Amino acid sequence: MNFFDRFTKGWQKYRKPGYYEEFDYAWTMTIDLDRCTGCSACVTACQAENNIPIVGEKAFAKGRQMQWIRIERYWEGEYPNAKLSFIPMLCQQCDAAPCETVCPVSATYHNQDGLNTQIYNRCIGTRACAVYCPYEVRYFNYNDHHWDAPLDQQLNPDVTVREKGVMEKCTFCIQRIRTAKDEAKDDGRRRVRDGDVQPACVQTCPTEALVFGDRKDPQSKVSKKLKDPRAYRVLEELNTLPSVVYLKKVDADG
Amino acid sequence: MGISIVPTLKVLKPVGLIIGGGFAGLLLGYWVNVTYFADDAPQQPIDFSHRIHATDFEIPCMYCHVQARRSASAGVPSVSKCAGCHQEVATDRAQIKKLMAFWENKEPIPWIKVHDLPDFVHFPHNRHVAAGLECQTCHGPVETMDRVKQIAPLKMGWCLNCHKEYEVENGLDCWTCHK
Repeated sequence: MNFFDRFTKGWQKYRKPGYYEEFDYAWTMTIDLDRCTGCSACVTACQAENNIPIVGEKAFAKGRQMQWIRIERYWEGEYPNAKLSFIPMLCQQCDAAPCETVCPVSATYHNQDGLNTQIYNRCIGTRACAVYCPYEVRYFNYNDHHWDAPLDQQLNPDVTVREKGVMEKCTFCIQRIRTAKDEAKDDGRRRVRDGDVQPACVQTCPTEALVFGDRKDPQSKVSKKLKDPRAYRVLEELNTLPSVVYLKKVDADG
Repeated sequence: MGISIVPTLKVLKPVGLIIGGGFAGLLLGYWVNVTYFADDAPQQPIDFSHRIHATDFEIPCMYCHVQARRSASAGVPSVSKCAGCHQEVATDRAQIKKLMAFWENKEPIPWIKVHDLPDFVHFPHNRHVAAGLECQTCHGPVETMDRVKQIAPLKMGWCLNCHKEYEVENGLDCWTCHK
């Protein structure tokens, strides 16, 4: 088998319909918009856990802010009758991710946990993935960032500090998933139990609007949440099959 | 009267000599650097010999590198670990006096890292020790070295070879080792 055959065969195997059903885990997050108060604790927790830089005023004005999870605000109506709603937006970890197909160096790919992952040192910074992402949740390092003296001590050693010219995105705190899997292995268990692993945003959410787990386990908290009739996915019509499921906010007036 | 190239060459001769001499100098410098100043076996602040400790006195690796089986980092032993023995043992030697100066000043020894992985690599020592790997598989025969030298290339292909050979679970996934 020559290189070309091997390449096409491998690609077909990777891209056959439903290939993501065969993975070990299917990590899923549900976000209950009825519970979300828009407090931004998840944003801060993510910033601390994943060494996300504070870009500063100038870069922010250019639209170069970095937040792997952000709270989007939507106003409806005019002032006296104005209604405000929030939606936390993070990488949807799509099973059929548009960003993966476009990367020329395969720096972003689907791993065996069904996660859409990014390898920073492989990324060459074409930014094509950010263009393809319909959720606008990929962030590019336009500059090298540094942390002033006491703050560099709080950097998470399990996460790289990304350098200039590298794309980055939410990983579902893959370093915590990795640790949980290692612990499961040490205990002689084959799988991670429900509740063993939580991303930083889920851990921090004061109203427990965010729930994280494996949807392959029918007993997990997240599987029960998925049966809620309020469940929907953002931009479902694009058929990206996101792993983040939102539970619709139901008002008194419908 | 023909046109000759010789006068031009005569003018260029000193320039050629300088360039040639410079090039030879660079080659010599490179050779000297690689042979005598290779940084794969740096001069440490104290001439600690693994041969004396591990071969002659048969101290197991994990007596000093206690963190190897417990954490991602194998860890360099603290000065108190050294002082634990050397307050009594071989106190008259020059190197031990150097060590005890660090102990009395309550300062860490500025050891130079030999086996250094880039920051984007997640290498947990405890997982590898738990899998039953010998220290020598990656670090070479450290117990025979007077000054520690890097033996394995510690490159990605070298890591993957082993992961393939032992069929490590998810061993070829990027995020198993990258972070």
